[in-house]
Amino acid sequence: MRKSAGVALAFPAWVWLLVFFVAPVGMVIWFSFGYKPGIFGTHANDVLSFDRYAEAMSPTFFATFQNTLWVGIAGTVICLLVGLPVAYWMAVKAPPSRRGLLVALVMVPFWTNFLVRTIGWQVILAPEGWLSGALQAVGLIDGPLELLYTRGAVLLGVVYNYLPLMILPLFVAFDRVSGPLREASKDLGAGRWTTFFRVTLPLARPGVVAGVLLVFIPLMGDYITATVLGGAKGNMVGQLVASQFQTAQNWALGSAMAVLLIIVIMATVAVGAGLVWLVTLPFRSRNRLVLGEPEPSAASKPVEEVAA
Amino acid sequence: MKQRSWSDVVLSVWGVLVFVFLFAPILVIIVSSFNVGRLLVSWQSFGFDSFLALFEKPAIRDAVWISVQTGFIAAIVATLLGTLAGIAMARHPGKWVWWFLGLLLLVSVTPEIVDAVALLPWMVFLGQDLGIGLFNDGIIRLVIGHSLFSVAVVSYLVRARLVGQEGQLEEASADLYAKPPATFRRVTLPLAMPAVLAGFLLSFTLSLDNTVIAAFVQVSGTTPWPVYVLSALRSGLRPEIAAVSTIMLVLTLLALGLVAYVLRRAGDSAADIARTMGGG
Repeated sequence: MRKSAGVALAFPAWVWLLVFFVAPVGMVIWFSFGYKPGIFGTHANDVLSFDRYAEAMSPTFFATFQNTLWVGIAGTVICLLVGLPVAYWMAVKAPPSRRGLLVALVMVPFWTNFLVRTIGWQVILAPEGWLSGALQAVGLIDGPLELLYTRGAVLLGVVYNYLPLMILPLFVAFDRVSGPLREASKDLGAGRWTTFFRVTLPLARPGVVAGVLLVFIPLMGDYITATVLGGAKGNMVGQLVASQFQTAQNWALGSAMAVLLIIVIMATVAVGAGLVWLVTLPFRSRNRLVLGEPEPSAASKPVEEVAA
Repeated sequence: MKQRSWSDVVLSVWGVLVFVFLFAPILVIIVSSFNVGRLLVSWQSFGFDSFLALFEKPAIRDAVWISVQTGFIAAIVATLLGTLAGIAMARHPGKWVWWFLGLLLLVSVTPEIVDAVALLPWMVFLGQDLGIGLFNDGIIRLVIGHSLFSVAVVSYLVRARLVGQEGQLEEASADLYAKPPATFRRVTLPLAMPAVLAGFLLSFTLSLDNTVIAAFVQVSGTTPWPVYVLSALRSGLRPEIAAVSTIMLVLTLLALGLVAYVLRRAGDSAADIARTMGGG
């Protein structure tokens, strides 16, 4: 009886997601094996082939995939480097009474319209804008600021847009590493840096994993930031897919690109996980952190919840 | 007072700088909304013209209204489906839960643009090829598109909340001769309530924010606010857009404060609130 009740409660969600997620995405996968029949058709599936995938990997489009991967990896790394100290500061150094406020402040941009925030950057970075004027007045640059509509602007935009998604899980992870543990490490003669790298950071690893995934995955599919800040040069795969559906009307090619995008995201995550596993292998054998029963479960909890 | 080490000072300065970075474009938008001029980018003088212009421009008002309606309905749909699924996952575990979690994971890692290009032909297929008129309705299309990710978010939130609290209360309720529906209504739902509420507000804001899916599935006549802004991007941004954004920011802050207040009343710490609202 219990089991059937469970299935019945989840039934509406099952149906909703099967009809409006699985079926349409399945249709896109099906389209990706077809072709564009003529100027007026969008797709046809009477001859199936992998030709659209070959087409999507041709040099012109391949450059865009490369660029997207570059922005995705660089953006995620910068988010991690920028966000990690902030999250540590919020969770450990800032006075406990102010933590709630700091968390709320991180979430304000997160809850402001994505597009409007990005337009804010467009205003800031504009060659005739005040930042450009200020930098010229100080003498840092000679002419007007030429950052807008470059890959640099897209990178700045994605770092800005996804930074809260990095800070929040890191904050939760650092917050869960208890203070007494750090004090114990210091009492045992470890310095501040040693404590951070051998106690705090290893215990906060689930938060790092969650943050990296939360930033990297949506970043790779980004369409808005690149459109607003990138102009023609900041091309991302998201824009490519959109243009195949909206302007070129080649649904077969657009579908193949969309499927490739998902494959690239999953492959990068898998390769990244493998690399991290290999690189940290010597550290882990030297640095094993064995704690009592309650700590590991508490420390491993955020990743399940946040990544899930 | 203990002397602060240089690394602590560096950390604090870095923290403040990052917060300035996070708020810079938002402040720029707020300031721009008081710009009296034709274009958002070039500052002319201070004034409230852009706020007054909202009363004269039905297109902007309609777009915002469509967004609010869609957000509300999408949030109700997502909360309803997600809460039931979350309760089912937490209280009726089994093999099916892994399948369902796998599906939710797929939903949350699929880039929005893929959902968008997939839903467009699917809606055309349902609405025109199968002739189900429902799917030609602009609001229904938007609600469906916006609800997908939110269903996953609400399911996670509710599940996380209930998994943390074991089922003893429900068992006690059953021992005290409460019928299953009564236990559900008076024990399980109140237990899940903070997560349900957070999920509802999160779904609402996610829907208000949704630009990519909306741009694809919308039909003319029901253009939501972000899509209106996206099209204005090509024809020139006017200060009215900043004015609307400022108003919406204030409303969002009020909603955010409300959630934090409710969660704090329920006894959550800052970290719990961050976890609940940060999507799990």
